[in-house]
Amino acid sequence: MSEVYKRELVFVVTAIVAIVMILNFFFVIPGLSPVAEQLQAWALIIQLIAIAIGAANVMRVHSSLVQRRVQGRWLYSAWLIGLFAILTILGLINLATGTQNPFYQWVFDHVYVSLGTTLYAITGFYIFSAAYRAFRARTLDAAILLLAGCFVILTNAPIGEVIWSGIPVIGRWMLDYGQVPAMRTFLITGAFGLLAFGFRTLLGKETGFYGEVAE
Amino acid sequence: MAIIIEGKVIAFVILILAFVLFYIFMYLAKTGYEISARTFPAVAALPEAVGRAAEMGKPVYYTTGLGMDTLNNPLQGPQTLAGISILGYVTRLCVKAGVNIAYFTPIADSLPLVEETMRTAYLAEGKPEEFDPNMINFQAGQSPYLTASLGYMQREKPASNILLGGFYYESVVLGEAGNTIGAMQIGGSANTHQLPFIVATCDYTLISEELFAASAEIAGDPDVLGTLKGEDILKFIIMVLTIVGFLLGATGVTTIADILGL
Repeated sequence: MSEVYKRELVFVVTAIVAIVMILNFFFVIPGLSPVAEQLQAWALIIQLIAIAIGAANVMRVHSSLVQRRVQGRWLYSAWLIGLFAILTILGLINLATGTQNPFYQWVFDHVYVSLGTTLYAITGFYIFSAAYRAFRARTLDAAILLLAGCFVILTNAPIGEVIWSGIPVIGRWMLDYGQVPAMRTFLITGAFGLLAFGFRTLLGKETGFYGEVAE
Repeated sequence: MAIIIEGKVIAFVILILAFVLFYIFMYLAKTGYEISARTFPAVAALPEAVGRAAEMGKPVYYTTGLGMDTLNNPLQGPQTLAGISILGYVTRLCVKAGVNIAYFTPIADSLPLVEETMRTAYLAEGKPEEFDPNMINFQAGQSPYLTASLGYMQREKPASNILLGGFYYESVVLGEAGNTIGAMQIGGSANTHQLPFIVATCDYTLISEELFAASAEIAGDPDVLGTLKGEDILKFIIMVLTIVGFLLGATGVTTIADILGL
């Protein structure tokens, strides 16, 4: 199959799938709904197969680090490969026996989830330092942002109402009316951008992610 | 006989109106109607970000965000694809300048597209042998993706961080980590809940629809720019509807709100 034919085939398949999904979303057409559901199921299957590609990527990157004995990294990569192998074997045993291995569950509950929760918790510190940078009143815009930010923070903190009963009223107004129009504007314009992007993809004009790169 | 599903009439009308406008302006652009698009500062800064990395002898970090771990998501998938479109352009700039680029993602189904896009960029610059698949780093899940990215930033100290795609809380973590190492940062997302973090942490930003328009601007194809003109007309129509609807609503006439189903 020539490269050109392969390229055209991708555009044709994309267009057919998009048209079926659009028609199924807006119209009641006998026989179309099962086709759309089938396509969605295929998409899910492709998504699951892609996890194997992801696993292959992880193995490729880390086995390369181990092979090259990259200073300060290869031991961690070897540790990752070892754990990956153990959990894969346990997962396959689970699959074969239909039972949940306690070690497999323990690693998920007490290692993976705990580390994820810890990482999420430190986001608060990152938000704080980002807010410090954004709230420095160097311009009029930044000063307005700082003022609005103070009202919203004091609205959410119990001490705000103690300082002045008007603070929660102003803060609540800013949350409910001050920021909503701006956010909705971004939502609406984002939706139009999405429409244009979808239209270009449908016509095969949006080719960047097909591997056709602009100069 | 096909019947339109109740409650979706207005959405369908807007979809058709949008597609007609996009097509008209694409056709006009093809027949010589000149369409000029403003240059996004963030897009104009991409060569500067790569140039900075070349001067410092350090790599460029690129990510398209969590994107709900899949391309199969109606809101996040297109943002990831838009990010990958721009990745092709940035990779090409990196190959020209002899700069290493590292791509991090937790989205397994985007890997074939990313690999093809980056490989093509190397091929287009006449250096296919320099393409190393190990520059594409996959991590399953948000936390592993974040820790891998943070580790990379601390070890390699990339000169520039480019964060374009569907971001969640990782936007503030990556943005702040980038600031800590003094990287030049370009960010963009259509996820409104992350925009404040991206604006606060990045030097240049692509806000909402600009993320989708950026790839059209990079392509520079008049056909493609036609869709941006169509978008502008749509925005104008919505603005007029909003103002008229607001004024009529104030006088007690709710016709426009009723038609739109509000």
